[in-house]
Amino acid sequence: MHHTMSALILVALLAAGSVAPAFADEAASDGGAAAKGEQLFGSAGCGWCHSEGGRAPGKGPKLAGIQKDDAFIHNRIKNGYPGQMPGFKQFSDAQINSLIAYVRSLPAQ
Amino acid sequence: MWSKSRTLAISASIVLSGLYGVAQAQPIDASRLESADTNPNDWLTYHGSYKGFDYSGLSQINTSNVKDLDVAWMHFPGRTTRGVQSMPLAADGVLYYSGSYSRVFALDGATGKQLWAFIPDLDEDLVSRQTHSPYNRGIALGEGKVFVGTVDGRLLAIDMKTGEKAWDTKLEDSQKLTTGFTGAPLYVRGTVVIGSQGGEWPNRGPIFGVDAKTGAKKWEFITVGGTPEAMKTWGNDTWRTGGGGGWMPGTYDPETNSVWWGTANPAPLYDWGGDSWTEGGGARPGTNLFTTSVIALDPDTGKLKFYHQELPHDAWDFDSAIGEFVSIDRDGRKLMLHPNKSGYMFVYNRADASVANVWPLIHNINFVQNIDTSGTLVGRREFQAGEMKGPPLCPAINGGVSWNSGAYSPKTGLYYKIGNEWCQTMEVTKTTPVTEPQSQLYIGATFHLVPPPSGTIYGHLDARDPVTGEKKWEVRFPEPPLASVIATAGDLVFVPDPRGILRAYDARTGEQLWSHNDGIGHNGGIISYSAGNKQYIAVVTGWGGLVGDDYTGAFGEPYKSMPKDAGALIVYALK
Repeated sequence: MHHTMSALILVALLAAGSVAPAFADEAASDGGAAAKGEQLFGSAGCGWCHSEGGRAPGKGPKLAGIQKDDAFIHNRIKNGYPGQMPGFKQFSDAQINSLIAYVRSLPAQ
Repeated sequence: MWSKSRTLAISASIVLSGLYGVAQAQPIDASRLESADTNPNDWLTYHGSYKGFDYSGLSQINTSNVKDLDVAWMHFPGRTTRGVQSMPLAADGVLYYSGSYSRVFALDGATGKQLWAFIPDLDEDLVSRQTHSPYNRGIALGEGKVFVGTVDGRLLAIDMKTGEKAWDTKLEDSQKLTTGFTGAPLYVRGTVVIGSQGGEWPNRGPIFGVDAKTGAKKWEFITVGGTPEAMKTWGNDTWRTGGGGGWMPGTYDPETNSVWWGTANPAPLYDWGGDSWTEGGGARPGTNLFTTSVIALDPDTGKLKFYHQELPHDAWDFDSAIGEFVSIDRDGRKLMLHPNKSGYMFVYNRADASVANVWPLIHNINFVQNIDTSGTLVGRREFQAGEMKGPPLCPAINGGVSWNSGAYSPKTGLYYKIGNEWCQTMEVTKTTPVTEPQSQLYIGATFHLVPPPSGTIYGHLDARDPVTGEKKWEVRFPEPPLASVIATAGDLVFVPDPRGILRAYDARTGEQLWSHNDGIGHNGGIISYSAGNKQYIAVVTGWGGLVGDDYTGAFGEPYKSMPKDAGALIVYALK
């Protein structure tokens, strides 16, 4: 039963495209997390608002060099802000952490 | 007996008129809507009438007295996230309009006194996860009801006298698809037509026809591979995630009994496969019907009658969803003008959407070398994954024109339209559509707004011949205006600008005659109507739309600190 459930979850994850399977390995190094975050940034359409992969201001703010702490960014990604940013409640904590790792990896300039 | 009843009825109507200070209401039915252009006292449908003119035949306010125009009254809808973006409507001296979260209001057109308010319950958890939300761009009137869509996938009917809900129909699974309805519906002969959002999501963008009496769904037209012919234009089964939709109201041509609608772009917006789409390659091989197309549907059945795809395999997000269809009769020809987001204006024959002419409104275009007068794209610019090569792409994703409307004055014979001059740098990325558990944006690139190679970003109001594109005059703006404009029989053109200034121009010369500061940017509609034999101009205010969001990065102040949770309806009259 447990195996069946695991298989179902795996199928569901694969059906989700590149997002979920990319986060099967949550013990990734920072570099790996940032790479996964970059992939998720693209798949979830974050660049729609955060221009040049977060390197420039667009509809949303520039993310490179952001002064907010991780807890703030985590909460903003999870819950959004009415009228300014949607919440991504479907993302796991590991996924959000990878996005933060990606944002932190952008050179501040 | 008969005369007594008649007297009583007349007395009752006088009492009612006095009570509400408005004219006696007549039914809003097909015949009244189809002759709306002959009654300038009302503004019955999104563009004023099915002719799509955004023109008022009222001339009480005119070039000689517009200097005396002043605020008559205001109304604040509250909870105005991303500003008021809707087009108000007016019937028999009552003004109806919608705000964010599909709040709908009926107001005495002369005084602003609220007759009723309708505040729907929405799926707030869903709304908090939506990017293109919670603004609402308008309503429709018909059969004693006000119709409004919601971002959680419903179409609602409200009794136009009482403000009570008449019916509530769930049309789309927004929890799964993320998309819902922000555009105004269109009422046509007993059917309410409304199109879904969709171009940015891996969905299939439907347009619905709903019975105005009962709320029952009559038909659904799927803009992505919705016919066997269309499905063949999506290689590798990419119709499953092809975007599309029709997020602004189209119009109705009674002569051919056709609903004209503009469809949204395919997804992903940008294709990493270069020109391989012609041979089965890239993100979505093929021409991708019926995205970025103008389609004509039978209002009773939703069956496709004819169409023209403005940009086959749109690789630039220059969709056809702008719902502006302007009926022009000239030299015995029956024509239909439609702006494509690329900045090219398509002129069609109304009988079958065959192309009669194409002309460019803007100056900075390099996504093609040209679209010739037959509608053929010449010298397409395709992309590969990675940093875009060559000069910045022009226009930018924000469009050579945005979704708000221009205006056509049958009196001057000129079409007044805002054009935008801006470009973007871009990196195209090969992405996989995410549809589970909920559809996510499917963009295929990250981009940045930049000035055109020739200089700075700017916008311009042009007065042009709608058929040939010949320019009569032009007024420039340092930041492109994003609101609709209106032309009037008083030979005026009103432009609500992004800084918050409402301006009036001489329709014949472009000379500015009047302005007033509304205190916050404009990103919605403007109409004119009459109540108690007095002409009013009604404009909505508020900032924070998807294009306007770019103004902070592009221009700084006043946009950086402009509130994105405020806005109002402001109504002007002569002092």
